[in-house]
Amino acid sequence: MRLRLILLCTTLIVTHLVLHVALELGPVAPDLVVVALLLASRSLGSSGGAVLGFVLGLVEDAFATISFGANVFALTVVGALGARTRDFFVGDSIPFLAVFFTLGKWSRDLLAWTASDPAARLPLGDLALVESPLLGLYAAAAGLVFRVLFARRRGNR
Amino acid sequence: MAGQPRHTGERRKTDLLLAVGVILGSLIVLNLPPGPQRAMRHFMRETVLSPFIGINGAIARTRERALDFDLLRTQMDSLVAPVAAQRTLAEENRQLRNLLGLKDRPSHRVTAVTVIRAGTPGSESTFQLDAGLDGGISPFNAVVTESGLLGQVQEVFSRYSMGYDWSHRDFRVSAMTPDGRAHGLVEAVRGGFREQDRLVLRGTAYLSDLGPGDELVTSGRGGTFPRGIRIGWISGPAEASAGWSRSYYVEPAVHPGAVTHALVHVGGGAGVTVAAEDSVFRPRQVDPP
Repeated sequence: MRLRLILLCTTLIVTHLVLHVALELGPVAPDLVVVALLLASRSLGSSGGAVLGFVLGLVEDAFATISFGANVFALTVVGALGARTRDFFVGDSIPFLAVFFTLGKWSRDLLAWTASDPAARLPLGDLALVESPLLGLYAAAAGLVFRVLFARRRGNR
Repeated sequence: MAGQPRHTGERRKTDLLLAVGVILGSLIVLNLPPGPQRAMRHFMRETVLSPFIGINGAIARTRERALDFDLLRTQMDSLVAPVAAQRTLAEENRQLRNLLGLKDRPSHRVTAVTVIRAGTPGSESTFQLDAGLDGGISPFNAVVTESGLLGQVQEVFSRYSMGYDWSHRDFRVSAMTPDGRAHGLVEAVRGGFREQDRLVLRGTAYLSDLGPGDELVTSGRGGTFPRGIRIGWISGPAEASAGWSRSYYVEPAVHPGAVTHALVHVGGGAGVTVAAEDSVFRPRQVDPP
């Protein structure tokens, strides 16, 4: 895993925690954890992606009293499957990353929904067709901005 | 964009097996009993999330201090008259209780806390308070604001505690109108979106006639919430069950997302009805004048 990628993922995770935990912005802020996980998992492999997803899921679930473990499960599976995409797609083009991040966020939300307590979750239709795709596009846009920023820095050197 | 496998053979198989093992581990975490889950959450909050929670608390305290001074002075002035009036009321109440042979009510004790929320998925309805065992807080203490009831403490640690607000699915509080003509149990009902969550008063007598705007306060029954804390106002009828009981929707007094400062009732609290002690009438010999 290259240093630039480590820096990018660390920045994404720290920014996510600042926006969500320190500033309590909630869904107003993009889900940068899933972006960092997807980027890192393509370099780490399935097991590395799963372990990173497991740890990030524990951090995300630190305040969850009803469905503790739902985010752990979702991010672990997304981390493991995200790494497998390297077997089918190479390169980091903007269109590929946009689709990759959007589908990754959508998968994460659906997996978390599956694992969460039935009494506490949103209707599946609303989540799968409205909320999650929009949040996926939002996360993808934010992720691409970070990706471009880091790529530019590299080009300037 | 054709892909290329990075590893082949045994290494690839090992990688896949490890990934499956971690996924199984995540399923184990999902099904852990409450004790270990609580310990894991506590560990994460005290390590990785500690600086971010600290920033959140600092921002909340700064926001509190930035409140308009004139507004605070108006609030304080509005309290002066009721407090002055209640000094004589308290003395009258003490004399009457003596005459009736009732025990003194326990004294009020509250701890001021800063309310910290996280915006992570799954943390809805949950908040952290910046005081714990060291502040005298214990599980099931009521958390209130100047507007009314916010929620309840659930987990207490040495330096902080965790609680949930009225929008949590496990929240229940026994309620009544201030004049005591209707009693019932208030709980949260989910809306299509989280912003549509509201409270519902269940189990009131079928003949109870509550209208929009009627105030509801805690009744003290059950021994968890002190009596007399405002819960909200009736907003309209919800349902009636075949001549037996009625339910009403309740507009909550407190909007949890806006709360940064609260008070925790510690040490039992005043007016808590545990086993109807106040209703035990022990007549005292009163000398004729």
